[in-house]
Amino acid sequence: MEDMLNTAKTAENVRTKSRNSKPTKSHPLYYLLPHLIIFSIFFLIPLVFGIYVSFTKWDLVRTPDFVGLENYKNILFSNSIFHDQLTSGLWHTILFVLLSVPFCIVVPLLLAVALNTKPFLGKFFQGLFYLPSLFSISAVVIVWSLIFNPNYGPLNTLFHLNQVWTGTQPWAWMTIVILTVWWTIGGNMIIYQAALNGISKDYYEAADMDGASSWSKFIHITLPSIRGQLLYTIVTTTIAQFNIYGQPLMLTNGGPNGSTSVLMMNIQQNAFGSGQSLAGLSSAMAVILGICITVVSMVQLYLLRDKD
Amino acid sequence: MKTKQNSVSKWTSFIFLLLLAIIWVVPLLYGVMSSFKSNIEMQSVGFRFLPINWILTNYSRLLQNTSNTPVFRWFLNSLVIAGGSTILVLVVTSLSAFAFSRLRFKGRNTLFYFLLSTMMFPAVMNIIPLYKIMTFLGWANTPWAMIFPAATGALNIFLVRQFMDNIPLAYDEAARIDGASDWQIFHIVILPLVKPVLYVVALFTFTGSWNDFLWPSIVFSDINRMPITPGLKLLQGMYVADIPTLMAGAIIAIIPTFILYLVAQKYFLQSMSLSVGVKG
Repeated sequence: MEDMLNTAKTAENVRTKSRNSKPTKSHPLYYLLPHLIIFSIFFLIPLVFGIYVSFTKWDLVRTPDFVGLENYKNILFSNSIFHDQLTSGLWHTILFVLLSVPFCIVVPLLLAVALNTKPFLGKFFQGLFYLPSLFSISAVVIVWSLIFNPNYGPLNTLFHLNQVWTGTQPWAWMTIVILTVWWTIGGNMIIYQAALNGISKDYYEAADMDGASSWSKFIHITLPSIRGQLLYTIVTTTIAQFNIYGQPLMLTNGGPNGSTSVLMMNIQQNAFGSGQSLAGLSSAMAVILGICITVVSMVQLYLLRDKD
Repeated sequence: MKTKQNSVSKWTSFIFLLLLAIIWVVPLLYGVMSSFKSNIEMQSVGFRFLPINWILTNYSRLLQNTSNTPVFRWFLNSLVIAGGSTILVLVVTSLSAFAFSRLRFKGRNTLFYFLLSTMMFPAVMNIIPLYKIMTFLGWANTPWAMIFPAATGALNIFLVRQFMDNIPLAYDEAARIDGASDWQIFHIVILPLVKPVLYVVALFTFTGSWNDFLWPSIVFSDINRMPITPGLKLLQGMYVADIPTLMAGAIIAIIPTFILYLVAQKYFLQSMSLSVGVKG
């Protein structure tokens, strides 16, 4: 009898619960915990710890030894080799961002505008331009290293040139930028295509009535209509290119004369390279790179914000 | 007049696209063709697109190598790592997204936006401690070293939640009236409805994991345990004088994502507009 009463009560409970749609308190945690645990152990703790060890002397093995701002003084203001690494590595990284980002925005935008006219073979072209972004940087560099190979590469053999493309400047930077544009534009192109697709035809028809040129239509209708997507891609592309590592590592090996050696290479080398690990100092470099990336994207968001 | 102008712009576009398409396709095809040439042919013939003698020995040499560059081994390792990452991400992401979309609890939005905002920090700031954590757990040189970090991201949760939010609450209510629990609503009602976005998350997790370069080259030192993407760096050092074999290695490495793309192109291209609708 009591059992039956209990069952009836539970049933009643379930019904009121569902009517008010208020699940029990413990519930959401079961769903959230798997991610929260993984997130904490493999993202949040390393992030906080990474900032902490940038204030320590650490070799990855012993307990980190707190040294205050010494690492930062060392890499920012001293005359050490690490100061040179930071300044030249950061400068080369920024130079690469400045060289590559404009192309990574303009080329896919042109492609999207061309594809938006629904030309012959449009779907095929779209698929082709997107394809390289599905390949790894190491595979992409190997494929392009043949193109630029001084002895057997088609660029030299076909045009009877004798250029050491990846070993002399300014070619070394150009090869890296060309490879990067080839590798990465697919995503931005698709984003612009979707954006262009969403612009109402009415605007263009009205502009046609007024006899507007296609250039002025592009400037006054197209660009303002996709400014949200432009802003989004400029910020994400800049962040992505700040993390440059594989291209100079495998294509130019930082050369010629260290002129394409970027900060990520120094960070990796100091922490995990042969010899004594300088994980603390390396973390300080990583924090500075992280701050640069964050500041640059903030500034971009501020400059490109909607002023209305 | 207007249709004429239209067809002019159509053809200008076509020619522009065709010229760029040549730049896009030639390096890839030249690499593929070269992987079927012998090293002697490569070094003696000069410019020639197609091989004179088509050979497969570059591929067989790589796949049979079990000592210094075990490419076949790397390939299998990559499959395990990318497959494992995909499964874990799907489970963890859909559970979390369901909680954020359907369950009510205190601090729901605060937690959600906190998770999202941490994604701003560049990965470079946590790889050094992450390496320490992996060695501490004894997971360096194991697939776990890549599988678990893959499931930390909040952007996937964001995407899936967005998709779930578009499913009318009436579905849940109907199921509740029939006596369904939250768990049943999750896997019987909601999950089947968000399949499209889960495909997208799966494809991107798989290719992202397959193509990851920096992190695995740090955490894998054992040549037999590493995936193929950092493996290619070793291959490059080993076959510096044998370009056709090196090309064969790169081609082997891109085959899986290439096939995925052929099969599921629709989802790859859709995903971009998905993320734009969200963030743009």
